[in-house]
Amino acid sequence: MTDDIKISIRKLYKIFGDAPQTALAHVHEGMSKADLLEHENHVLGLNDINVDMPAGKTTVIMGLSGSGKSTLIRHLNRLIEPTAGEVLVDGENILDYSPRQLRDMRQHRMSMVFQKFALLPHRTVLENTGLAPSIEGKKSRTYAAEATKWLDRVGLQGQGDQYPHQLSGGMQQRVGIARALTSNSDIMLMDEAFSALDPLIRTDMQNLLIDLQAELHKTIVFITHDLDEALKLADHLVILKDGFVVQQGEPQHILLNPADPYIEDFVGDINRARVLRTRSVMEKTEAPVEGLDGEVDHDDTLESVISMAEGDTNKHYRVMREGRQVGVLHMRDLVRALVPTSRGEETLVS
Amino acid sequence: MATYDFVFDGLGLREWCGGDDAGGGGLMSMDALLSETSGTETEVSAWDTPFPSLDALNAACPAMPQSRDLTSGLENGFLAIKDGLQVVVDPLTQPLSWALTNALWIMQAAPWWLMIPILMIVSYAVGRSLKLAGLVGLSFAFLAFIDYYDYTMQTLAIIFVCAFICVLFGVPIGIAMARNDKVQRGMIPVLDMLQTLPPFVYLIPLIFLFSVTEPKLYGIAIILYAIVPVVRLTDLGIRMVDKEVIEAADAFGMTERQKLFGVQIPLALPNIMAGVNQTIMMSLAMVVIASLVSAPGLGVLVLRGIRSLELGVGLVSGFGIVLLAIILDRVTKAALARINASQH
Repeated sequence: MTDDIKISIRKLYKIFGDAPQTALAHVHEGMSKADLLEHENHVLGLNDINVDMPAGKTTVIMGLSGSGKSTLIRHLNRLIEPTAGEVLVDGENILDYSPRQLRDMRQHRMSMVFQKFALLPHRTVLENTGLAPSIEGKKSRTYAAEATKWLDRVGLQGQGDQYPHQLSGGMQQRVGIARALTSNSDIMLMDEAFSALDPLIRTDMQNLLIDLQAELHKTIVFITHDLDEALKLADHLVILKDGFVVQQGEPQHILLNPADPYIEDFVGDINRARVLRTRSVMEKTEAPVEGLDGEVDHDDTLESVISMAEGDTNKHYRVMREGRQVGVLHMRDLVRALVPTSRGEETLVS
Repeated sequence: MATYDFVFDGLGLREWCGGDDAGGGGLMSMDALLSETSGTETEVSAWDTPFPSLDALNAACPAMPQSRDLTSGLENGFLAIKDGLQVVVDPLTQPLSWALTNALWIMQAAPWWLMIPILMIVSYAVGRSLKLAGLVGLSFAFLAFIDYYDYTMQTLAIIFVCAFICVLFGVPIGIAMARNDKVQRGMIPVLDMLQTLPPFVYLIPLIFLFSVTEPKLYGIAIILYAIVPVVRLTDLGIRMVDKEVIEAADAFGMTERQKLFGVQIPLALPNIMAGVNQTIMMSLAMVVIASLVSAPGLGVLVLRGIRSLELGVGLVSGFGIVLLAIILDRVTKAALARINASQH
């Protein structure tokens, strides 16, 4: 990708235990996670993580529980200190920061949204939303307008005087998001932000986040264990397993080219028609082609094309992007793409 | 001949014991005196072999200390450091005496028609309940009606001062324990000891250290006894604050100070208030015992009831203490309920 890189993680290791540095030497010599736990009694939390997170985009880190994803996101604002490695934010290694610099970064450049909301129960919704300015010492009079603006934006008009326990889970998480937005930071860390919500509300919140992102272009780092959610939100997808990165890249690409059986298993259960876009399965050509049945947009899901073709696999469509043809979609290719591919087989994207 | 002669003979310590005339030196026990005057050497059967205690060993070897030497040694040791200790402790605790004297004076000097309404207003301000304020008014009116008003005010004054000082020291100690595992490990045995020592035992060294007429004598005893719950519950409350909320405070860049006063203490407040409630109840219990060392108040009447078998006085003052306990408990519980309601 040619985007600016906002956050860059370099050779990051985290080992939990009494003597992590000794254990790190063993890991460098090639000791596995299981051996390290058995013989050295240390837990290898993160193993040689290298990730670049593009500015203004959503990077989703996905993995099952125990894969180290929550540990990883806590390294980005140093809620957890790494055993080795670098975390570069805007080109500066935040591990060199003094406590004062670190606090400044947490106040102004990075905000965080938590799985269990983590609102302060003794403060009103408005005071919670204005947490970042209040930490700087601003009075509620000063930040009320800004906080109210963001509360309105996330759909909590007129709830500022309530206490968190008076709101439902979904509304509490909206406060959590408004709180992160009020800090005016470029980077938003979201740790399983929607995992504690029920499915319908979760969908609402995902749509809210997509809307906000289209408007604000924050650098979002989103943690989830839910692949559907990951594919819906991600510009850049990182898949973690047992503390190392199995595969990372553009989500459509990962879906069509799983790097190993673990990812194949993962993507096997996905409703591919809803996730894959026409641009991922089309034949790329700008040459005009005769005898096409219609036009589709490059960002349409396969599901919508199937319903347009009424299930007919003999049709062909022109794929358009901003009014120009970028390729041709053959319905036969489309149907083939719906079946999960195994690694090694010929994939459809050339 | 004493039972354990063979030990010292066997070890060749007879010289050190000071010759072989056993039981010659040192203080004589009653048994030894009796056997000497009756002129019969008592033969000890195997069944009656005494435990090799200090006294039994002393019988065989006069150089061994007797058990009475232990207690008198302790006493002399304490008396020896007493003066030095007083130089340090006396000025440190003097404010406590002043506080108690002044509180006692104010509570008694204020006329009843001012004091009872003030107490009702305070209880209403804390608990926001008219019923509670009514209960407070009625209770004090009843105690005044049976002419126990002065004693009640004395007890109340002592409790106010002591509970306030318990909170003043207990909460910071609890915070220090919550923030540092080492402090916690060091404090827990001390708290355990304070909680398990019979209250009378506190009084013994204090009587030596201070004169019985000084209010700080009973003040310290009450504080030591009652400070434990507020310390423990402050520690517990701060440790129980939701980890995620603390993480959020960190993630938004709060300083340690902001975190303590803006998050941890407010969220631990229900537990701290539960501790304050317990502390007040325990100082009420101790104020009765402290009447043994001249603490004024209802406890004196209870003591009179026991000493001179005045059954009625003892029972009525006991009932007065129960009434006070109910009021103090209800008022602090109401405050606790208000804090809880605002958080959950």
